[in-house]
Amino acid sequence: MNEYKLSNNENLAFFLNEAKSIKTNNFEKKIRVGILGSFTLNGLEETIRVKCSQKRIDCRTFVADYNQYNQEILKQDSKLYQFRPDITFLILDVRHILGELFFSPYSFSISDRKELIKTKIDEMKKLIKTFLNNSNSKLIITSLQIPSYSPYGINEEKEDWGLKQCVSEINNRIRDELKDNPLAFVYDFNEFIMKFGEKNVFNYRQFFSGDIKISTEYIPKFTDELMRYIYAITGITRKCIVLDLDNTLWGGIIGEDGFDNIKLGDDPIGRSFVEFQKRLLALNQRGIILAINSKNNFDDAIEVIRKHPNMILREDNFACMKINWNDKVVNLQKISQELNIGLDSFVFFDDDQINQEYVRSSLQDVLVVDLPKDSSQFSQIVTEMKEFDVVKITEEDVKRNDMYLGQKKRKELENEIGDFKEFLKQMNIEVNIQNADSFSIPRISQLTLKTNQFNLTTRRYQEEEISAFASSKDRIVECAQVSDKFGDNGITGVYIVKKESNEEWIIDTFLLSCRIIGRGVEETMLSQIIEKAKSLGVKRIKGEFISTSKNKPAENFYNSYGFKKIGDYWIFDTNQKIETPDHIKLRRNDE
Amino acid sequence: MSEKLYQIVSKVFNVSIDKINDDTNPEVLEEWDSFNFYVLLDEIEKSFGITFDLDETLEIKKIGDFKQIFDKHGIKL
Repeated sequence: MNEYKLSNNENLAFFLNEAKSIKTNNFEKKIRVGILGSFTLNGLEETIRVKCSQKRIDCRTFVADYNQYNQEILKQDSKLYQFRPDITFLILDVRHILGELFFSPYSFSISDRKELIKTKIDEMKKLIKTFLNNSNSKLIITSLQIPSYSPYGINEEKEDWGLKQCVSEINNRIRDELKDNPLAFVYDFNEFIMKFGEKNVFNYRQFFSGDIKISTEYIPKFTDELMRYIYAITGITRKCIVLDLDNTLWGGIIGEDGFDNIKLGDDPIGRSFVEFQKRLLALNQRGIILAINSKNNFDDAIEVIRKHPNMILREDNFACMKINWNDKVVNLQKISQELNIGLDSFVFFDDDQINQEYVRSSLQDVLVVDLPKDSSQFSQIVTEMKEFDVVKITEEDVKRNDMYLGQKKRKELENEIGDFKEFLKQMNIEVNIQNADSFSIPRISQLTLKTNQFNLTTRRYQEEEISAFASSKDRIVECAQVSDKFGDNGITGVYIVKKESNEEWIIDTFLLSCRIIGRGVEETMLSQIIEKAKSLGVKRIKGEFISTSKNKPAENFYNSYGFKKIGDYWIFDTNQKIETPDHIKLRRNDE
Repeated sequence: MSEKLYQIVSKVFNVSIDKINDDTNPEVLEEWDSFNFYVLLDEIEKSFGITFDLDETLEIKKIGDFKQIFDKHGIKL
């Protein structure tokens, strides 16, 4: 008999067994996860650790004892707080919160129901507040499942303060409470139920046997949802979708079928491609970069992109187009260079299984989507992807496509002029140096989490850490907003300086988004630190370069601006001069 | 023909199949705990296309007990 295979590869048995042999050595990213629940959540902790290790995150966990979440949150010296989590999941269920109201809602009068729900909301708000006061951890709280049954049957929707309305009221008020709080998130548990179905997720036999309210079979799926917050916090986010064209963005082969015969529009196959493109467009509008990597005659393909009446994605939606007969792997590497985005930020969509396998085996960092032949599944695949989450969608995310378009035009001008110095002059670059404030802090944190290449120390900071630095007297937190004749790049540079003493400052963080490296912005930022230091009589500035597998582009930075290497540090004597590039117009918002 | 049952048990509990027989129970097999027993039930239901009643699951004290339930459901090992 052949070896028995588990009924699916996302089986909880797999995670339980795998969790026993996780090796976390050499993982750069670390996270401490707290788990609090109002019911049995066995298996969740193990699955989280395994999924973290698959993404090379060293994950440590604390699981509160069964239904002890109140005590863990209310006691200031509880084990939870001693554990010092970075992220805490508070997983509550509707039966537990509603108590008798869950079964017999209409044995209570309307005013009693209303009063009871108000009390529950106040209790939950108070619990959340206490947690956030006692801990620096992010908090993810699950919303309550809207019951699918009411003893009033078809009259449920006629009732004031009916059962479902009561639960919605709790969910809505908690959502309102946390809406503007960067530390706390609501996970919409009803979205989970909608996707997988209550009859699957809730198994009465397991519930009666062990107060299990998310069945063992669905714990891995539920973990996937929670992992999205872990990926976002640890900065594991895909930024760019690279697409093939024939049978990926439209049905058929343009070189053979021709403009009039490809499927894109009003037939079953055509509709599936239009829908897929609409999903991609929405991601593009949210800040995900799109690019093309396709083997076609350029003229054939571009005609479709420019002129086909049912094409949703147009030339301006693509930051980079490689439509040629070159090797797909080479094209991907070129896209990565041109856009200055690491291959580990790429997702690759190609209907051809051989291309998929070739890219998968050649470029392990690229996430190659296992795209089936059937185009009706494409939309679902892209909407089920959990790789695009960020802690906060910033203004830069929303404007990103415009920024990359500007980039495309800059490249064209550079090629046209030939002389790089002359090109820089004609760019009219403006750098606006700003103190960190409530508008820029989310973006500054995002840059420290996401920037890998031109990042001298790769220190990752959450929003609240940046806030604390910004209001501290011994730190300078500033950012650079860069614009030029082709548009606004937004906030793309950050430095954090630690005022070690009156004589010496240390550059804790210095980073620049890759797409603006090499245009004198880094020099301008550095000279700002040095001039400020000089004006305050500081004698030395210490810089560090902490090498990672990705920050080679920043390796020679201090060396090239007159810093001398002494031990682990690069030292700059402020008697020396640093030139500021004359093609850049500098402004400070605080002057 | 208990092979398939033993294989599932061995896979879910991650123990060598040599350690599994009809008398295997939580006392002798430390990998068998109260929680992964639910996972085992899931897997056996899926694999044999049956659904256990709550009381049936409570009667299972050793691996051999599954066979009586299979019998009731008309499954011949």
